[in-house]
Amino acid sequence: MVSVGPKPGVPVILRELEPSSEMFKQGASLRVTGSLQSFEVDSATAVIQDGSVSLKVDTQHLRDISFRTNSAYQFIGELQIREGNDATLLARIGRNVDGLDLNLYQQAILIRRQHEAKLVSSRTRRA
Amino acid sequence: MDHLLHLVHVKILAADLLSLTIQHTSPPAFLRCGRTVARAELVGIVVSRDRREKFLRFVIDDGTGCVPCILWLNHQYLNASTSSGLSESDPTAEIALKMSEEVRLGTLLRVRGKITTYRGAIQITVRDVVVEKDPNSEVLHWLQCVRLAKECYDLPPSSGQDGT
Repeated sequence: MVSVGPKPGVPVILRELEPSSEMFKQGASLRVTGSLQSFEVDSATAVIQDGSVSLKVDTQHLRDISFRTNSAYQFIGELQIREGNDATLLARIGRNVDGLDLNLYQQAILIRRQHEAKLVSSRTRRA
Repeated sequence: MDHLLHLVHVKILAADLLSLTIQHTSPPAFLRCGRTVARAELVGIVVSRDRREKFLRFVIDDGTGCVPCILWLNHQYLNASTSSGLSESDPTAEIALKMSEEVRLGTLLRVRGKITTYRGAIQITVRDVVVEKDPNSEVLHWLQCVRLAKECYDLPPSSGQDGT
C-alpha cells in the first residue's frame, strides 16, 4: 500500500501522555482535546486542560482561530519533547469543539482502538 | 445484504478504507472481506487543501488514517457535449464550486463519494461534502463504523445473507 500525505493525528486523552506511554514520542502525530486554560499572545502558546492534566500547544502556524478561555479546543500536530520530558504539541490544525461530550469521546476512542487492533492483527494474519 | 453493499456509501474509517483489497481491473474494484464496495462515507478533519482551476484536492484525517479526496470542478467541460446550446449556468458546477468553498483547513467534514485510485493509492472522488457543525457527529460516525464492521461488513458472506 502506498501511503500519501501527512500522518494521521491519533486521538489521545491528555492523561495518556506520560513519558512511559508509547504515544509519548518525539514527532508523534497526535490529536489532543481539552479546555483552554490560558493563551499567551507573544509566543502563541495555548495551554489546554483535561481533568488535572494540561498540555502546551504551540499555535504559531494556525490562522483564523480565536481563543477563548474555558472553551474546548482540539489540535492536530506533532509532539515536541524537550529536556526533562517537557512536551509541547506543534499544532498544524486547530478547531473549537464546544459542545463535545468529552466523556463519550474518550469512551469512543477506546472502542475504536480495539477495532483498529483487530484490523492490524487480521492484516498480520493475511501477510 | 452482500450483493447490495456496492450500491451504498459505506460508513467506514480511514484505516479500513485504505486497507481495502484493490483488484486491478478496469476500472479497479475494491473488496472488504470478499465483498465489493464502491462508495464510501467518511467523517474527518480537513488537514490539507490544494485548489486548482479544475479540481480541489484535499485530505481528511479521522485519526485512523488520512484519505486524499478529489472534488472535480470542471463540469462545464465534462457536460459540454451533452448540453444543448449555450447554457449560462450549470447547477452541478455551481454546487461543486459551493462545496469547494466549504472545505477549509480544520473543519469537520462528512464526505461521500466513489472509491477510486490515483497513482496506485486509494482516494475518494467526491460526490458531496457536508460541514458538520456538531463535534459529536464525528463520535457517532466512529461508533457506527465499528458497529457496521462487526455486524455487517466483516461477517462471513453466508451469515451476512442470513442477516438480511
